[in-house]
Amino acid sequence: METQAPITPGRRGPRAGTPQRPRIGIVKFASCDGCQLTLLDLEDELLAIAARVDLVEFAEATSHRSAGPFDVLFVEGSISTPEQAEDIARLRAVSHRLVTIGACATAGGIQAIRNWFDHEEVRAVVYPQPGYVDSLAQARPVADFVAVDAELRGCPISPAQLREFLVALVTGRRPQLPDEAVCLECKRRGVVCVAVAQGIPCLGPVTRTGCGALCPAYGRGCYGCFGPRESANTASLAKWLSDDRSASDVGRLFAGFTAWSPPFRAMIDAHGGPPGQVIPVKETNDA
Amino acid sequence: MHDTDTLTESSGDLAVDIAGLTRVEGEGSLRLKVRNGVVEQARLEIFEAPRYFERLVVGRTPDEVIDIVARICGICPVAYQMTAVHAFEHGLGIEIDPAVRALRRLLYCGEWIESHALHVYLLHLPDFLGYPSALDMAHDYRAAVEAGLTLKRAGNKLVEMIGGRAIHPVSVRVGGFSRSFRRTEVSALRETLTAALGIALQTVDLVAGLDTPEFERDGRLVALKHPHEYPMNEGRIVSSDGLDLALTDWRSEFAEQQVPWSNALQSRGRDGRPYLLGPSSRITLAGDQLHPTAAAALARTGLAGEIARNPYRSIVARAVELVDAAAEALDIIEAYQPPAEAATRWRPGPCSAAWATEAPRGLIFHAYELDEQGLVAHAQIVPPTSQNQAAIEADLAAFAPRVLHLSHDEATLRIEQLVRSYDPCISCATHFLDLRVENLP
Amino acid sequence: MPAAYFLPRAELDRLFEALAVDGRRIIGPTIADGAVVYDELDSPAGLPHGWMADTAPGSYRLRSTGGERAFDYVVALTSWKRFTHPSLVPLTRSRRDGDQIVVEPIREDAPKLAFVGVRACELAALNIQERAMRAGPAGDPDHAARRDAALIVAVECAAATSTCFCTSMASGPEVDGGADLMLSELDDGFVVRVGSEAGAGVVGPLGLRVASPDAVDRAGTQVAAVRAAIGDPVPGDGLPERLRAALDHPHWAQVAERCLACANCTLVCPTCFCTSVGVASDLDGLDATTERSWDSCFSLGFGRVAGDANFRPKVRDRYRQWLTHKFSTWWDQFGSSGCVGCGRCIAWCPVGIDVRAELVAIAPATAPAGPIPWPLSPAEGRAPAALATAAPARHVIATVRSVMPETVDSATLRLVTTDEALLGARPGQFVMVEQPAFATPPISISRIRPDGLDLTIRSAGAATAVLTGLAAGAQVALRGPLGRGWPVEAAIGRDVVIVAGGIGLAPLRPVIEAVLAERPRFGAVRLYLGARTPHDRLFVAEMGEIAGRADVEVAEIVDRAGPEWLGRVGIVTQLFDQAKWDGSRATAFVCGPERMMQATVATLKGRGVDPAAMWLTLERNMACGVGTCGHCQLGPFFVCRDGPVFSVAELGTAFAREGL
Ligand SMILES: Cc1cc2nc3c(=O)[nH]c(=O)nc-3n(C[C@H](O)[C@H](O)[C@H](O)COP(=O)(O)OP(=O)(O)OC[C@H]3O[C@@H](n4cnc5c(N)ncnc54)[C@H](O)[C@@H]3O)c2cc1C
Ligand code: SF4
Ligand code: SF4
Ligand code: SF4
Ligand code: SF4
Ligand code: FES
Repeated sequence: METQAPITPGRRGPRAGTPQRPRIGIVKFASCDGCQLTLLDLEDELLAIAARVDLVEFAEATSHRSAGPFDVLFVEGSISTPEQAEDIARLRAVSHRLVTIGACATAGGIQAIRNWFDHEEVRAVVYPQPGYVDSLAQARPVADFVAVDAELRGCPISPAQLREFLVALVTGRRPQLPDEAVCLECKRRGVVCVAVAQGIPCLGPVTRTGCGALCPAYGRGCYGCFGPRESANTASLAKWLSDDRSASDVGRLFAGFTAWSPPFRAMIDAHGGPPGQVIPVKETNDA
Repeated sequence: MHDTDTLTESSGDLAVDIAGLTRVEGEGSLRLKVRNGVVEQARLEIFEAPRYFERLVVGRTPDEVIDIVARICGICPVAYQMTAVHAFEHGLGIEIDPAVRALRRLLYCGEWIESHALHVYLLHLPDFLGYPSALDMAHDYRAAVEAGLTLKRAGNKLVEMIGGRAIHPVSVRVGGFSRSFRRTEVSALRETLTAALGIALQTVDLVAGLDTPEFERDGRLVALKHPHEYPMNEGRIVSSDGLDLALTDWRSEFAEQQVPWSNALQSRGRDGRPYLLGPSSRITLAGDQLHPTAAAALARTGLAGEIARNPYRSIVARAVELVDAAAEALDIIEAYQPPAEAATRWRPGPCSAAWATEAPRGLIFHAYELDEQGLVAHAQIVPPTSQNQAAIEADLAAFAPRVLHLSHDEATLRIEQLVRSYDPCISCATHFLDLRVENLP
Repeated sequence: MPAAYFLPRAELDRLFEALAVDGRRIIGPTIADGAVVYDELDSPAGLPHGWMADTAPGSYRLRSTGGERAFDYVVALTSWKRFTHPSLVPLTRSRRDGDQIVVEPIREDAPKLAFVGVRACELAALNIQERAMRAGPAGDPDHAARRDAALIVAVECAAATSTCFCTSMASGPEVDGGADLMLSELDDGFVVRVGSEAGAGVVGPLGLRVASPDAVDRAGTQVAAVRAAIGDPVPGDGLPERLRAALDHPHWAQVAERCLACANCTLVCPTCFCTSVGVASDLDGLDATTERSWDSCFSLGFGRVAGDANFRPKVRDRYRQWLTHKFSTWWDQFGSSGCVGCGRCIAWCPVGIDVRAELVAIAPATAPAGPIPWPLSPAEGRAPAALATAAPARHVIATVRSVMPETVDSATLRLVTTDEALLGARPGQFVMVEQPAFATPPISISRIRPDGLDLTIRSAGAATAVLTGLAAGAQVALRGPLGRGWPVEAAIGRDVVIVAGGIGLAPLRPVIEAVLAERPRFGAVRLYLGARTPHDRLFVAEMGEIAGRADVEVAEIVDRAGPEWLGRVGIVTQLFDQAKWDGSRATAFVCGPERMMQATVATLKGRGVDPAAMWLTLERNMACGVGTCGHCQLGPFFVCRDGPVFSVAELGTAFAREGL
């Protein structure tokens, strides 16, 4: 089991609160709010957690606002507009530890699929007046813009991993966030492998665990929402999967919520890009 | 990104500029300008970054779409999945097992409970009791906050049981579910839901007793209505002014438009009128189908009439729906018999698919065109908040003159509170990007 | 007692009822989610009657035979280890109350189970895994209890699938004892043989008739056909040696291109026993539990040590560990093969990697025996592990009497205890140090005192940071002493050379003290001390004192230093690479970072020191410290149990071999 670096006094930004009650911020960029909602989903311990950390910025849940400094800043969402690119740089400077939460922040999220498409064309195609809307040519992970100290993976993040991270933060221990494959959890749970027993394509072997092998336990293949594990051998898996499906159907398996992560991106590129590159020409509906 | 709130006033004029709305889902701001008592501008600005979902689903299979559209919103992913799955099944002519239908309703009940409990206790109640957040409120009202969290947990447990996880569940598939559920698994939630029902009933009493500002709006209400059940996955589109429309025909009555201050498209009636969706509309238009327990709770409040008119009373509507969802969930669990097969088998193919369901925040509409290989060629996704945006702005304009006499802070608070009473979900609102391709070569 | 009874098919439920007395639960094959798995059964109705499994590399499909037979499916996905060695076992519960801590082992009662349908290969696997899990000084109590509580009903195979190769591994298909009851399934019923008193107790009351010679014959013919069908796909003769000789084969890299390092093969393997330990706690870390879960040598974390260094970073290294452990080093460790030929790893590999094919490619039957990388047995130069004291599996709470800061990031904790085993520790042994809510690091004993022991710890991560930050009065829980210590006796009458790098001086200090305590019994004594910078030197005052003695030569060197440092700058080997002393009379004790030890060994060899008289202590990732978690393996060795002190001769080329 591999774990992430311990949360000890670190490199950038000074410490802001007391070690006993760290100042925490949660901010979002392009995302669905699900990862920050995961904090509120820790219902049973939410009030106890709130007593142990100083939640100074969390617009979804409180009208208290803060522009920093933060001991730990949790960042949700990918960077997709010029303004967001400026914001993240400013936030980094006032954050002692910056932690990306979720697939959007760590890998670009589903919106990164558009990174394969021509931006100007997409904008012109999508908006009657593209000028109203500002977006960067690509939706990219936070780490492409600033240094990231730790990642919580998943689309959405796992409540258990978020809790573990927060406990590690307040106790000073190393957060136990294994970087092994989903398959280990799958076998520990005693789930029958859907890939071997039913021929359902499954990204479990190349995807980082954290969900508890949720999809196989629910009778379907893993779709990679925690992103690549360490040493993800996507090429070998893709080759095996190519035996009974077309190249585009192999590529689409990797073109999910962490498509822009390098090991998955390489497979998408090797199989002709993600689905939907060609927009079918058709009359639109109203509006 | 988060400028501080500003409020400036010069004799009789008011300018409220809340740069970052809090306790709403997603990023938005509010801009209101009143000059000489005349509202010049009332805007709910949405600057949540665009994510281009309608573009992202092009080329995808129906099952992939179900996974992708969930990511539009972490608060109501089930609503997106339900709308998409029903659209595809309707379009492709797939019959589903009655037990699958029951499970889907159960799943939706879970999301309603989770989302409404979140809004009532964590986002909205602090407004009424004067706290910046539920976490602060817990210092004085710990029991209430804990009750709210217990209720929210119950909703999440329901979604987790059927969907595997509370956010972005994984089991919804075209034709049914990715696995079947044993009776014992389903009935394991009985105690949790019984407790939740108890809390929901108390919630109705709690929120019915809250002081609310006087305000009567007089806009159009729209919701689904079903002859035999409170509307969730099925019904017809009805309105307070007599509309009665098949839910696949949403586009014949409503349309989206782009406004410069929003990364979301706004919807209005084809005649340009705004309309309001959500719990208050449902209670008003389909209240006769409430679960008897919920109907009784609503009657006890004596507020059915006010719910129809005063947006601040939406918190009562939400509480009544919490009772409805918990009570219905218990009924479904009692009657549950596993389906013969987890999912009906089906064949991919071309079709036009459209459907509407009732998300916690109101009617949500999806339309898809599938090509010869059964892949999405075109999509339109219309979430509730984009439809409510025009009504919210109209209500803001109507309400603004009433706060002119208040202090800056209080006026701002009242206005912000009004916006929150619609439970706007800005993350959702940001995808109503319609594909316009006719200009392409 | 007759040789065999006959149980008519229709009466199988009577056997089930007889097994289920005294609340014993029956675990047997049943179908779930497209495969046969072992799960609880209420009656024979749940058995996979009329189902056969077609297996191939990376594929498993059930096929209906339409027949009535219940045991044609061969082996299930799950192995019996799910019940003897569950995927998650709670280990300890600990609490902190101010300075005071409590650490209690969690013991769950082993469930009384009957395993129905255990195949010959699985019987062999149960025994192999038991040898591994009981091999530690104290044995694994959980595994032992579960194994003892299980009643085993074996079934002899009537069919084989394409992935079976028990014949090559000498584990089947015939069941020749080792089970409480042994069944052979025929069309009309079962030939039942009794293998134990417990088994006799089950079938006795059933009043079964004696099996006819014809039935016994048919059973024999049936299993003989299975043997013939399988053939001998992996000739086992000399396989351990052939594989050992092929450690540098280019094919390892070729497999690594296909292997996903997903660990499925190890987790389905009925003999793999490796585990990791996780910690769960309340929000404040005051109340914690540790639990061990299945892990695998395919995990990156297995080879990880402080500073994010890793001994097995590449998939090639991990695949080599798996294959060589199963088919070669298992023999060194436990006297048997680690593979029983059940074929699970082949069928359940998501990309269909077939150990049989890889073995043939890497260690073909015709391969010329290469040089032997490490001695094969104690007889060939490996010292017996007798220097170890038996380690208690219990936790001893020790109190910090004082804390002496050593360097900017390290400190010595002086611990007091009355525990006799700890007080009897030998130089070079170590302890596992547990505190509520933190990982449990292995730490060497840096001084053995009459009333306790010292630990000198460098803050290398979270757990060690907390340990070095403790104050007098705090408590820690110790498990130990563990491992084999330094053979100080072996140096009596000889010259002594001690080479330490950085924190490596800590485990050597007891050696220095033991030698100086009986100084006249040794020849020349030379101490070579290296550190990163002058500020990183340990035990400065003490070493200064020793340097003042006329009968000890002490030399120091640092990697980097400012102008205030008047001593030497460079690497530690520079202290003696030009020396004049005669290494053939010397016994050397060396500890430091792996690279430093490699350089030191090379230099000492150049000085003529005999590899059998050169002793090192190795650092590896450790979770259990007693030889049951598998983390610390180095070729045939468990570093925790067989070491951490080794002679260079014992290690052979396992020492300093990349990725082992
Ligand atoms: C036999 C032996 C004796 C040792 N003696 C000493 C000593 O006397 N003084 C000293 O300062 N250090 C010693 N070490 C090294 C010490 O064990 C590691 O520095 C320590 O485990 C790091 O733990 P951590 O939690 O602080 O580090 P982190 O980097 O935060 O966590 C690493 C985690 O990995 C796991 N782990 C298991 N084994 C190791 C390992 N060997 N190295 C690193 N991580 C490991 C543990 O769970 C550990 O908590 C010894 C190691 C071994 C094998
Ligand atoms: S189902 Fe997927 S995650 Fe599970 S073992 Fe198979 S490949 Fe791995
Ligand atoms: S051999 Fe197969 S099962 Fe084993 S780790 Fe490699 S890919 Fe996974
Ligand atoms: S190595 Fe493979 S064939 Fe051998 S016992 Fe393990 S799983 Fe079975
Ligand atoms: S080290 Fe050996 S026992 Fe452990 S997982 Fe690897 S092959 Fe199996
Ligand atoms: S086997 Fe567990 S540490 Fe050696």
